[in-house]
Amino acid sequence: MAVLSGDPRIAEYARLIVDRSLDVQPGWQVLIRSNPPARPLLEELVRLIARRGAYPVLMIGSTMWPVDPVWAASAPDELVGELPGIDRYAVDHMDARITLDAPENTRNESELPVEKQALARSARWPFYQRTVSMEIPWVGCHFPCPALAQEAGMATSEFEDFLYGAVLRDWDEETRRMTRYAERFTRAETVRVVGPGTDVTMSAAGREAIVDEGRLNLPGGEFFFCPVEDSAEGEVSFSEFPTEQGGTVVEGIRLVFRDGRVVEASARRGEQALVEALDTDEGSRSLGELGIGCNEGITRHLNNTLFDEKMAGTVHFAIGAGYPFAGGLNVSALHWDIVKDLRSGGRVECDGEVVQENGVWLI
Amino acid sequence: MGGEEASRIEAYARLLVERCVDVQPGWQVLVFSSPLGRPLFEEVCRCIGRRGAYALPRLLLPGLESLWALEAPQELLSTVAPIQRYAYEQTDCLIHVEAPENTRDGSNVSPERMALVRKARRPLFEAFASDSKPWVGCQYPTPALAQDAGMTLADFTEFLFGAVLVDWDEAEREMGRIAERFDRADRVRIVGDGTDLTFSLRGRQGKISAADANMPSGEVFYSPVEDSAEGVVTFSEYPACYDGHEVTSVRLVFRGGRVVESSAGSDEAFLHAALAIDEGAAVLGEFGIGCNRGIQRHTKNTLFDEKIYGTVHLAVGNGFPFIGGTNVSALHWDMVKDLRADGRIECDGELVQENGEWRF
Repeated sequence: MAVLSGDPRIAEYARLIVDRSLDVQPGWQVLIRSNPPARPLLEELVRLIARRGAYPVLMIGSTMWPVDPVWAASAPDELVGELPGIDRYAVDHMDARITLDAPENTRNESELPVEKQALARSARWPFYQRTVSMEIPWVGCHFPCPALAQEAGMATSEFEDFLYGAVLRDWDEETRRMTRYAERFTRAETVRVVGPGTDVTMSAAGREAIVDEGRLNLPGGEFFFCPVEDSAEGEVSFSEFPTEQGGTVVEGIRLVFRDGRVVEASARRGEQALVEALDTDEGSRSLGELGIGCNEGITRHLNNTLFDEKMAGTVHFAIGAGYPFAGGLNVSALHWDIVKDLRSGGRVECDGEVVQENGVWLI
Repeated sequence: MGGEEASRIEAYARLLVERCVDVQPGWQVLVFSSPLGRPLFEEVCRCIGRRGAYALPRLLLPGLESLWALEAPQELLSTVAPIQRYAYEQTDCLIHVEAPENTRDGSNVSPERMALVRKARRPLFEAFASDSKPWVGCQYPTPALAQDAGMTLADFTEFLFGAVLVDWDEAEREMGRIAERFDRADRVRIVGDGTDLTFSLRGRQGKISAADANMPSGEVFYSPVEDSAEGVVTFSEYPACYDGHEVTSVRLVFRGGRVVESSAGSDEAFLHAALAIDEGAAVLGEFGIGCNRGIQRHTKNTLFDEKIYGTVHLAVGNGFPFIGGTNVSALHWDMVKDLRADGRIECDGELVQENGEWRF
């Protein structure tokens, strides 16, 4: 049967998700969180999941299920802070999940006051917990809709080319290449990141670097590890790209780490949102992850974490939750990836050996 | 959206949440719609939040459900996904805002596959069908609904709000008076163009629909004594609509409560097939009286048509157990008879309505 939009890349994308990322099995309940503009890809996903004898459980809304901000804005705090039983059951019983981002408006979340955003984050936590713990297969991905193209500063058709260029790659070959780099980090005791306004060291001792081989995230193309929780020392300045938190743009972030925790934080813009995020809970000041972007299909910053964190020649620091499956012990409702460009005047060292300089690999 | 439009949507949402289902604190309320219904859908979710209850909003994308029914292995169709089953079992209340993009979506799934899906889902709706859990089905104006009604979207929008935003306290009083008269009646006779039908309501209580499970509401309905209908009815004014079919000039002859003769101006084969799908399909299951003064015209949309003021509707097939009906069938086909031009209703020989106007 023909695809509605007539673009064969949509069917290829769906196969990548259902066959490679999730490998859907008969009888599974595959929970799909998405937004209405993703319809052409959703149709292909439903078709392929049905053919594999499984159930798509569709959770479609203006924003990502669970916790609807339109409802949450008018609901009492005690309800916003905890999932209703029906949604909790879905969280506990899904066999796989797809998060397919395709907003009509990338600012849809911003109407919620900061306190309610924090409550909504804690309510959603059990959902993320089931996936970050790798209990079930999952994938996070995007559909090239107009709002994401606009956010990226591109025409919609240009963004389609960009996205499919980043996603529809030879993932076996990419995996071999990234595995070579990741092995060096797994062996390392100490990792150091140096760049403009930046010099941070952290311990990677006993921690395995995990390659994102185009399964958990599409586009894939990074490897990451969870640094020893009390080890990060130094400062990092995110001077190249803006980021955002809960719909607020935050720019020019500077963080100082002592014993693994942020002890000083400032931002040129959005400093309040930064400080509030860092104060979410006990674990939200710890460094949860260091990731290294390797996707050469991504050459420009989009202000979209899923892409930006994979950009070849960048690293990202995640404040908040670590990944238990990667040995990370830090627990937090926050996991905020902030991207640092190393392509002009940066380097990464493993135990004193320069492994990457100005974004170019030396190993 | 202008201020007036916004305030009508707000009034509509409050009517659904506060009056039709009366959401209570702590409830889990499943809310369904499609993207086209979002202005009302979102307002409903806000109202639920203000009542201290959980809204579980679910947008249905047109065609996606039927795509699964088309493609999944047949044996899977007879089992509902546990996550979906649990949601229906645990929910306290259901609000469905229909806002179709194309009213014929789903018609490409074969009747056999559709029957499997319907059969699997039937138990999910039992608590709602038997009135033990509150629910409401309503519509939000979309181009597809306007098209079926033969109206522009702007005209249909006015029509819809005119039918929904009425004084329900006043309407309930009026319907209470009507129900009181029919509750006392034994023989009811309906006379009109090509029509002279009698049936018994002995021992049966009417149900008033005033801002409850249907919006628009506005009918008083009964399940007549099952073996009592005698005579003929001709639905000459409007087509009888069911499952995407429009059957014109349906004529039914009843003997001993059952249709013994039937004919139609179009799609007669579909009519005959529908009346034969099971033992109960040819039995008169419902007699309803349209009481919504905001609805004056037929729009090929049963939710509205059966409430047209000055009409009655007769449903062949399933009766309503909660008002004493005992007939069981997979069919429940409401057919609307207009009595405004030349018709009357008698209760035990007394004229109670003439040309659509009450006489008591």
